[in-house]
Amino acid sequence: MELSDANLQTLTEYLKKTLDPDPAIRRPAEKFLESVEGSQNYPLLLLTLLEKSQENVIKVCASVTFKNYIKRNWRIVEDEPNKICESDRIAIKANIVPLMLSSPEQIQKQLSDAISIIGREDFPQKWPDLLTEMVNRFQSGDFHVINGVLRTAHSLFKRYRHEFKSNELWTEIKLVLDAFALPLTNLFKATIELCSTHANDASALKVLFSSLILIAKLFYSLNFQDLPEFFEDNMETWMTNFHSLLTLDNKLLQTDDEEEAGLLELLKSQICDNAALYAQKYDEEFQPYLPRFVTAIWNLLVTTGQEVKYDLLVSNAIQFLASVCERPHYKHLFEDQNTLTSICEKVIVPNMEFRAADEEAFEDNSEEYIRRDLEGSDIDTRRRAACDLVRGLCKFFEGPVTGIFSGYVNSMLQEYAKNPSVNWKHKDAAIYLVTSLASKAQTQKHGITQANELVNLTEFFVNHIQPDLKSATVNEFPVLKADGIKYIMIFRNQVPKEQLLVSIPLLINHLQAESVVVHTYAAHALERLFTMRGTNNATLITAAEMAPFVEVLLTNLFKALTLPGSSENEYIMKAIMRSFSLLQESIIPYIPSVITQLTQKLLAVSKNPSKPHFNHYMFESICLSIRITCKANPEAVGSFEEALFLVFTEILQNDVQEFIPYVFQVMSLLLEMHKNEIPSSYMALFPHLLQPVLWERTGNIPPLVRLLQAYLERGASTIASAAADKIPGLLGVFQKLIASKANDHQGFYLLNSIIEHMPPESVDQYRKQIFILLFQRLQNSKTTKFIKSFLVFINLYCVRYGALALQEIFDGIQPKMFGMVLEKIIIPEIQKVSGQVEKKICAVGITKILTECPPMMDTEYTKLWIPLLQALIGLFELPEDDTIPDEEHFIDIEDTPGYQTAFSQLAFAGKKEHDPVGQMVNNPRIHLAQSLHKLSTACPGRVLSMLSTSLNAEALQYLQGYLQAASVSLL
Amino acid sequence: MPVRKHGQHMKLFKNKGKDETTLRRQRVEVSIELRKAKKDEQILKRRNISIHVKEENPLGQDGAYEIIQPSLEEIVEAVNGDNTELQLLATQATRKLLSRHKDPPINQIIELGIIPRMVEFLGRADNAALQFEAAWALTNIASGTSEHTRAVVEGGAIPAFISLLSSPHMHISEQSVWALGNIAGDGPIYRDALIARGVIPPLLALVSPATPVGFLRNITWTLSNLCRNKNPCPPLDAVKKILPVLIFLLQHEDKEVISDCCWAVSYLTDSCNDRIQVVVDTGILPRLVELMDNPDVNVVTPALRAVGNVVTGTDQQTQEAIDAGVLTVLPRLLRHTKPVIQKEAAWTLSNIAAGPCQQIQQIITCGLLPPLVELLNKGDFKAQKEAVWVVANFMTGGTVDQVVELVRSGVLKPLLNLLLAKDSKTILTILETISKLFLAAEKLGETEKLCLLIEELDGLEKIEDLQNHENDMVYRAALEIIEKYFSGEENTDLEPQTGQDGLYDFSVEKQDFNF
Repeated sequence: MELSDANLQTLTEYLKKTLDPDPAIRRPAEKFLESVEGSQNYPLLLLTLLEKSQENVIKVCASVTFKNYIKRNWRIVEDEPNKICESDRIAIKANIVPLMLSSPEQIQKQLSDAISIIGREDFPQKWPDLLTEMVNRFQSGDFHVINGVLRTAHSLFKRYRHEFKSNELWTEIKLVLDAFALPLTNLFKATIELCSTHANDASALKVLFSSLILIAKLFYSLNFQDLPEFFEDNMETWMTNFHSLLTLDNKLLQTDDEEEAGLLELLKSQICDNAALYAQKYDEEFQPYLPRFVTAIWNLLVTTGQEVKYDLLVSNAIQFLASVCERPHYKHLFEDQNTLTSICEKVIVPNMEFRAADEEAFEDNSEEYIRRDLEGSDIDTRRRAACDLVRGLCKFFEGPVTGIFSGYVNSMLQEYAKNPSVNWKHKDAAIYLVTSLASKAQTQKHGITQANELVNLTEFFVNHIQPDLKSATVNEFPVLKADGIKYIMIFRNQVPKEQLLVSIPLLINHLQAESVVVHTYAAHALERLFTMRGTNNATLITAAEMAPFVEVLLTNLFKALTLPGSSENEYIMKAIMRSFSLLQESIIPYIPSVITQLTQKLLAVSKNPSKPHFNHYMFESICLSIRITCKANPEAVGSFEEALFLVFTEILQNDVQEFIPYVFQVMSLLLEMHKNEIPSSYMALFPHLLQPVLWERTGNIPPLVRLLQAYLERGASTIASAAADKIPGLLGVFQKLIASKANDHQGFYLLNSIIEHMPPESVDQYRKQIFILLFQRLQNSKTTKFIKSFLVFINLYCVRYGALALQEIFDGIQPKMFGMVLEKIIIPEIQKVSGQVEKKICAVGITKILTECPPMMDTEYTKLWIPLLQALIGLFELPEDDTIPDEEHFIDIEDTPGYQTAFSQLAFAGKKEHDPVGQMVNNPRIHLAQSLHKLSTACPGRVLSMLSTSLNAEALQYLQGYLQAASVSLL
Repeated sequence: MPVRKHGQHMKLFKNKGKDETTLRRQRVEVSIELRKAKKDEQILKRRNISIHVKEENPLGQDGAYEIIQPSLEEIVEAVNGDNTELQLLATQATRKLLSRHKDPPINQIIELGIIPRMVEFLGRADNAALQFEAAWALTNIASGTSEHTRAVVEGGAIPAFISLLSSPHMHISEQSVWALGNIAGDGPIYRDALIARGVIPPLLALVSPATPVGFLRNITWTLSNLCRNKNPCPPLDAVKKILPVLIFLLQHEDKEVISDCCWAVSYLTDSCNDRIQVVVDTGILPRLVELMDNPDVNVVTPALRAVGNVVTGTDQQTQEAIDAGVLTVLPRLLRHTKPVIQKEAAWTLSNIAAGPCQQIQQIITCGLLPPLVELLNKGDFKAQKEAVWVVANFMTGGTVDQVVELVRSGVLKPLLNLLLAKDSKTILTILETISKLFLAAEKLGETEKLCLLIEELDGLEKIEDLQNHENDMVYRAALEIIEKYFSGEENTDLEPQTGQDGLYDFSVEKQDFNF
């Protein structure tokens, strides 16, 4: 493309079309631009347009197109063609800086971004004059230009804040420092001087303060990796000026906006960050300046208002104080009682107050409020910063601080008492203060785990929390109710049990509160109380103690789900699950109504599942209803099936992906409840479960395998007789699973159930093929996980069909195969098998190979007899070998059982661990001894002579121990 | 070789995936430095501006010339002329210019082109005064930049100074030692040129019990510069000649002599394991360790460095340092008032923690865990960073029991606090360490306890926050921990749980069984 007017005209036309709302016009234009962007001069045409076009909209559009072009094409990727020709690159770099600086702000920002993208690739080596070019502009005196330079520099240098130290990075920083540090310092000084010259000129001040903010940000980036020599030498200049800026105020810079931080706030915030950086990293050098900053920042806090726009500044400033006051060598700065008092009074207490913005969130945005207040996503809030400062101060001054605050708490409570409806916020602050003062360590699961012993939590609870909750009107002072409930929740381990018991009916009552926050907190508090541990690891609160409240609890919980804003409230659903689990059989009378409500809910949310946690607890609750009821009355399973299958069918038919794994789990649970033959309704479903489409979704695999296992356990003979034609399909599922490194263990689960439960004759014709498949996988892509599962399987096979059958089938596949598997797989790898049951299966299987397999005694396999025995003793006695080759690490992580994407395991649909050799063998060591004894009786002398000639001495010692324990000896 | 005895077994069951050599961190070769040159480093080159030499000046008439300072032209003329007296006066004037406190005119003097003539004066055995003044002037020229030193060397000064080492006049031989020190300090090329010219035998011959202490200081300093610098390191036979003398000098009572000796040894050990072995073989370690405990910080700094370098070596070399008692001294150094000593001590400890678990056990036995935790808690940031490495290496190489012991010592709280550090690498190291800790906890079935402990210590919210970190590796590491250990719902709520005390109550029976 030539740099011609015609081309500029064409480009203008197409750029204009890219702004067209009609896709039929827009898309082809975009396509066209894409098709020509590889041409030489294309970027230069864009630059010409953004500079010279008559229409502003084209200028802007060209600048955005240019930036995106640079973003897509500038980087030279190895082995890929260079997408921008060299002469264009040179021309761009030569022109872009002056162009950026002479452009209006809107375009300047785009070009500044483009420069930093180019800079990331080319700076410094391939763009050596960039810095000089930029620095020269500092002298221009034009702050529009200077701010452009500073903004570009900031986008170039800000990566120094997070990248790892490297020679390359530091070479660049050094280069930047050499060229930039001094001019930046001079600019800083000059700008400050100009600020006082123009102290009465609002528009000038705004520009100058924008510069100062950028300068302060650049200071942070340039000082981040290490303290540069230049800045150490010029610390006096920088810190003195930073300090005076912190104390500066100018009415002209104050903004009316309550939400958005103004320039002054942004600058001071950045200065706090800079001081914190020095205090943390360069303490030795910064020490002389630190006390001044502490004072300035403290004064700043005292004089800053409550408006939201100051939040970032205030929380940065408080965090600075919090981090400093914890350091032993700055302790003295805070020690004085007067200092402490004024910090408490003027910094902490005011920032704990409940503000209008909090009140708004409480009422209108309860979800956000709960998230912040309950789940601790409050890191940047003022309350949180104040709370951190309290904890920091308590490190050295717990006594004095507690004393000072006790006075405040009392006076705030008195204020409240005088006129609750006006002064309720004082009580809120008092409760918050007590909470932050008392809590030293906290977890979601246990609430406060370490408390300040100087605070009497129970007394406060009885005198100030309970009365609020006992009030007859649950909807009065909702914030205070929420505070009180939260107090119970977090101090549940500090408040004595009898007080908790008194609180339970109060909490149940507050499930009816209209405020979402209040009834959510009530549900959550109940849920937390029900998970507390008493002695003997039982729950602290017992089902008996809850007996009087069962009905009202269940009623209020389900009613709460009908309150506005809470139809899918996960806290309530979790409380329902927890209540079921605690109350156990006392919920049975209410089950008919409960299950109706749950199925209705299920039907409703399955239209559009949006709250994963809510859904999860809902299914858990369903499982609990089933288990608890059927435990007492197994016949009841039919009525659950009746209630649930209709909804389940709908879920399956509508392919509600989020719910299908849950449905399979509930069905497994129901199926396992059947004591006799498998009902025909399930058998009708069986062929559908083998549909490949179901198995393509990873989330379905674990619950489906689980369900098929339930089918095999309960109905193997039915399948063999009534659905024999489906056996190849079943094995097809196994084959599909075994082919995947991620799912092969699931394939083995299925295979193990088939071998264990199916009548032998029904799978006879497939057996050889099964092994060939396994051997292929072993040959082509074996992993540790596969080998572990394989070992368990062949030993289970051996237990079920006998060692001789195993040898015969192996050697039938290929001569000497049995020996090879023994030598290359079983003996060297058996140590890797993990799990009690798995190890036991292997022990019994190997014992059979050793003692019930004649070829082991009289063919060339005999030489493997001792190594195999030794491996077995190793399995008994050595710690598990959990080495995993590096390249497998990834697979293993993904396969750790438990929470996975798209599959959420239901705890209450859990399967009991199944031990297929349980009845046969109790103690595998004794079983080995007895089997060896039997073998030695059959061929006297042989076993003993093999043992004495080649068994390792330590192994022999262990073996003798087994023989003794079994009270047998070898002949 | 007690360290390796259980190697086979360890590989199988405990130290899987661990390779000690990768954990040890050599003194980082910083070719780029943003900081001010370190004040605690030994000086490379020195100018002689001392006045006490005047007293020894046989002419003793300094005062007179200060009034009549000849011009540079006059100096050139006199130096190049034949008048011995004027030669001396001009040389002395030159020396005085070069000895003034501020801005000595080294460049101008070099530009006069009189260096070859000055070197010639060094050979004037008949005129000791002239030899001395020339030697002094050249010393001060050589004390400047590399350019300046090169001017002296290219003027042919090396052989002249080496032969002056054997001058019958002690002040001349001392001035030569000084000059040679400056030349050696320039870098490996001149250092090796000096060695090739045979500087070592006459230099070492100057050391005797009768040598005055001031002279000894100069000799020791020059020796240290002959040991200094890498790429390449000094020739092995030279090192072997110098080492016995260093050992002798280490017994001296003068702190400066000892300090420079330690610097020399620290340079020799800042090298490959073979070179470390040469030093270790001399049996010097116990003395070095003793000096680490010296009240004088100028002795402690280089002694600690020397020993710190030794433990970057093999397990066996590290063991020798341990046997020499380094672990009994380190607790005090970890609590030292000077941050750089804390930092070096922690670095040293980090390399010992990179060793086999027997050595880690000795770290525990010698009581290093409490000072380590203190340092993590409230040390200077530089030292905290190194302390993080100690923990990282310890967790990688320690047995489960040892890791439990470390956690019990309270390391977790300060470690998690350092997740707020403004240094991406440190944050990443901590996150990786936490992952390792989780692996240990998994083996003990204590994962849930560890999760709670981390939450209780405010670690969870810090890790969660790091999921927003700009550094990609940091963000991934944080995300992985959260996803793996903290994102599951509490399905196990009704399973057996932890006690109320919040303490990490690990216990495990370790089996050592070896067929």
